[in-house]
Amino acid sequence: MIVRTPPTKKLRAAPPETETPPPAPATGPGPLVIFEDDPPPSLPPPGSSSDHLLCTYQCRQMVKSDFIDALSNAEKQASDYQSKLAALNEKFCKVVTCAAESEKNKYLDQFLYAEQELAAAKAREQDLQEQLLKEVHDSDERLTKQLQSNSKLEVKLQNEMNLRMRAETSTGLAEEKASVIEGKLRHLSDSIEKEKKSLNNNLAQLKGESKLTVSRITADRERMECRAHNAEKETELLKKQLDDIKKQLSECVQQKSEVEKKLSNLTFQEVESTENNILVKHLQEELRNFDAEVREARKLKSAHENVELLKEKLLEEKSRRERVEAELSKLQELQLSMKKLEDELKSWKLIIKDIPGVSCSEDLPVKFASLQKEVIDSMMKVSEANAHLKQLEVALDAAKIDKQNAEIEATLAKEKGDVSKSEVKRIELMLSMVTEERDKLRNVLNGLKSAKNDEAASHTFLQEVESSLAKKEGYIKELECGVCEQKEVNSRQREEIKLLNERLNNEARRIKSLERESDRLHSEIALLESKIGHGNFSAANTKVLRMVNTLTVDNEAKQTIEALQTELQKTKEKLQAVEELKSQSGDAGKLVDSYISGKIVQLKEQIATLEKREERYKTVFADRISVFRRECCELFGYKIVMDEHQRPNGIPVTHFTLQSIYAQSDDEKLEFEYESGSTNILANDYTSQSEISHQVEIFIRKLNSIPAFTANLTVESFNRRTLT
Amino acid sequence: MASKTATKDIITLRGSAAIVSEFFGYSANSILYNRGVYPEESFVKVKKYGLPMLLTQDEGLKSFIANLTAQLSEWLESGKLQRVVLVIMSKATSEVLERWNFSIETDSEVVEKGMSREKSDKEIMREIQAIMRQIASSITYLPCLDEPCVFDVLAYTDKDVAVPFTWIESDPKLITNPEIIHKVDTLVSYKNDEWDEQ
Repeated sequence: MIVRTPPTKKLRAAPPETETPPPAPATGPGPLVIFEDDPPPSLPPPGSSSDHLLCTYQCRQMVKSDFIDALSNAEKQASDYQSKLAALNEKFCKVVTCAAESEKNKYLDQFLYAEQELAAAKAREQDLQEQLLKEVHDSDERLTKQLQSNSKLEVKLQNEMNLRMRAETSTGLAEEKASVIEGKLRHLSDSIEKEKKSLNNNLAQLKGESKLTVSRITADRERMECRAHNAEKETELLKKQLDDIKKQLSECVQQKSEVEKKLSNLTFQEVESTENNILVKHLQEELRNFDAEVREARKLKSAHENVELLKEKLLEEKSRRERVEAELSKLQELQLSMKKLEDELKSWKLIIKDIPGVSCSEDLPVKFASLQKEVIDSMMKVSEANAHLKQLEVALDAAKIDKQNAEIEATLAKEKGDVSKSEVKRIELMLSMVTEERDKLRNVLNGLKSAKNDEAASHTFLQEVESSLAKKEGYIKELECGVCEQKEVNSRQREEIKLLNERLNNEARRIKSLERESDRLHSEIALLESKIGHGNFSAANTKVLRMVNTLTVDNEAKQTIEALQTELQKTKEKLQAVEELKSQSGDAGKLVDSYISGKIVQLKEQIATLEKREERYKTVFADRISVFRRECCELFGYKIVMDEHQRPNGIPVTHFTLQSIYAQSDDEKLEFEYESGSTNILANDYTSQSEISHQVEIFIRKLNSIPAFTANLTVESFNRRTLT
Repeated sequence: MASKTATKDIITLRGSAAIVSEFFGYSANSILYNRGVYPEESFVKVKKYGLPMLLTQDEGLKSFIANLTAQLSEWLESGKLQRVVLVIMSKATSEVLERWNFSIETDSEVVEKGMSREKSDKEIMREIQAIMRQIASSITYLPCLDEPCVFDVLAYTDKDVAVPFTWIESDPKLITNPEIIHKVDTLVSYKNDEWDEQ
């Protein structure tokens, strides 16, 4: 701009222009004005300046130069200012860009840092999520496992409950059976007591009867003894008569023989003397008399024989009586046994009546068969129970193992629970850390926001960051929810574990009861085994076999065969001998037969005579022994009664009772015992008298002489009797 | 007579068919010798299982025991034998005086597979010596048999066993009034491949 001002003004203005006048030709982008030319009419400034500067060219030149100087100065100043502006602009730009870049960089760094942290947080979050997912899976699996085990245990429990129910029912049945059997037992004991009472009554009755019969029999016996004594006396008298008569008979026979001799002599001499005839007649008369006597004697003899016969008959009768007595006692026994049997029959009938489903004895075998079947069934049941027991034992073992497994699982679950707790804590810590970080980031963001509200990019970025943070918070909340769920699951699992523990305890109790039952069953088994030891067996699944051709039969057969063979040999030999004999004497066979029959007859006769002789000997012996006894009694002054008996150990002992003929009472008896060669005195009332015992001491114990003692006693009692 | 009767309970023979039947033969010989069922002079001493065993020379008894053990081992192989009882009876009255129970425990594995397990000679010898001693010791408890006796062997088999030609079904021959029950608890091991007679 060219300022058209007066020169003063211009001058006034000049100094500053001169101060910085840039040379006109120097530089200037401004328009160049040519002075030689007229100022173009289009140029208003000359026209306008003509008011003031109506000067010459010189002036104009001056002004021009001044102006140019001023212009150049101005231009210079302008360029300076422009350069300065540019520099300043540059500086400013520089300053501005530097600051912005640094801040931008800072923000970028911060942003990147935040992004990184976000990424890290996301990664952590993912990790946590994965971990939580894993844990959830694990816990799910565990839960399913535990549920499975639980269901298994429940099934087992059900089984065991069933088993127990069955066992209880079986025990109930057994108890019922036992009660039925007890009832039967009571019934039986009652019936037995009844039987006992009836038997006792019978016994008392029989005792009375037996006493009566015994007394009767003793009376009979005494009577018979009296009779026997009388008969003995009679026989003795008759014997004496017989002896006399025998003597007479023998005399008679002798006389007869003499007379016969004489008679024969006389018959030859008949013719010789008639006197002799008379004598003969006398003699014949005598002979007749003698014959009559002989007949009488014969009669007496026959009477004597009759007496002997009667004696024998008496003896027979006695023996018969003894037999009858013995049979009487047997009869009593038989009656007793009859009564017993009748009672037993009655009791059996009663029992049969008592047995349900049995009306008569024919039903009994059927009933027995059914009972046997029952027994077999019960045996089967026992075996089943055993098998059942074994199953129970196996189940018990399995339950024990399950219990141990469950316990191990419970401890494992507890441990896992602890681990998950610690993990939860760890997660919570991490969460708190993350929230802290978040808060920090938020603060940072807020700071940034306050600092750079205007920066849109960072703003959007921040918004993103914030949204991500919000998401993160959402995640964290979800995680917290997961943790809570986890806790709930944990608590539930704990409760389940408690329940399982209770069940385990119940199972343990049940196991104990089962063990008790198993002990009981073991004892039953032992009982049954002992039965088996006696040889019992169940006919249902066992049979007993033995070899047919046993050794005993073989042996016996062999022995019999051998015996028969030897016999055969012998008979063969005999046959040979007989045949030889036959060949030696052609028809001697018949003779032999007749000879044999004759011999048999002979032998029979011999036997008869021998039997007769035996009888005779017996009677003679009885006579002799009675004589001997009587003589002993008379010679030694003692009646001796001898009887034999056996001791309980089987040794025979002979008992002698001596009674002096001078005895003053029946109690005066000496008793001796003879045993294998030695004789001992036995103590009784008589020998225990001081006087007698003194003698026993002296004569028997010291001097060892029984005869001296008895002789002394005889003399003493004789003296006593004769003196009194 | 009741005081003389006795039940011998229970000698357990355990192992394979061959060893059980073989050992039953030796046990029977030992019992017959020790109880005086057969005369003492009809037995000879043989060394077996490291023990002096008494074996009968009576041909009849020998063949009887041989037939018996053959049949027993047949039943054992099929696992049908439950028990063997040696019964001693009075010759005059046929009263049962003693029952010797041999309970049989066959190894099911051996029965099924038909192969024998192996055990050392020493072990087998020890077990058999123990059983022999126990038979001898149980004999010392028993009253004397003062009358001529005979013996019989009963086999308790499963119900489904076909009765062989030379065997018949029998009653169990129980003792009417058993007095003493003496328990012998022994076992015999499985047969080794070959017995070495030492």
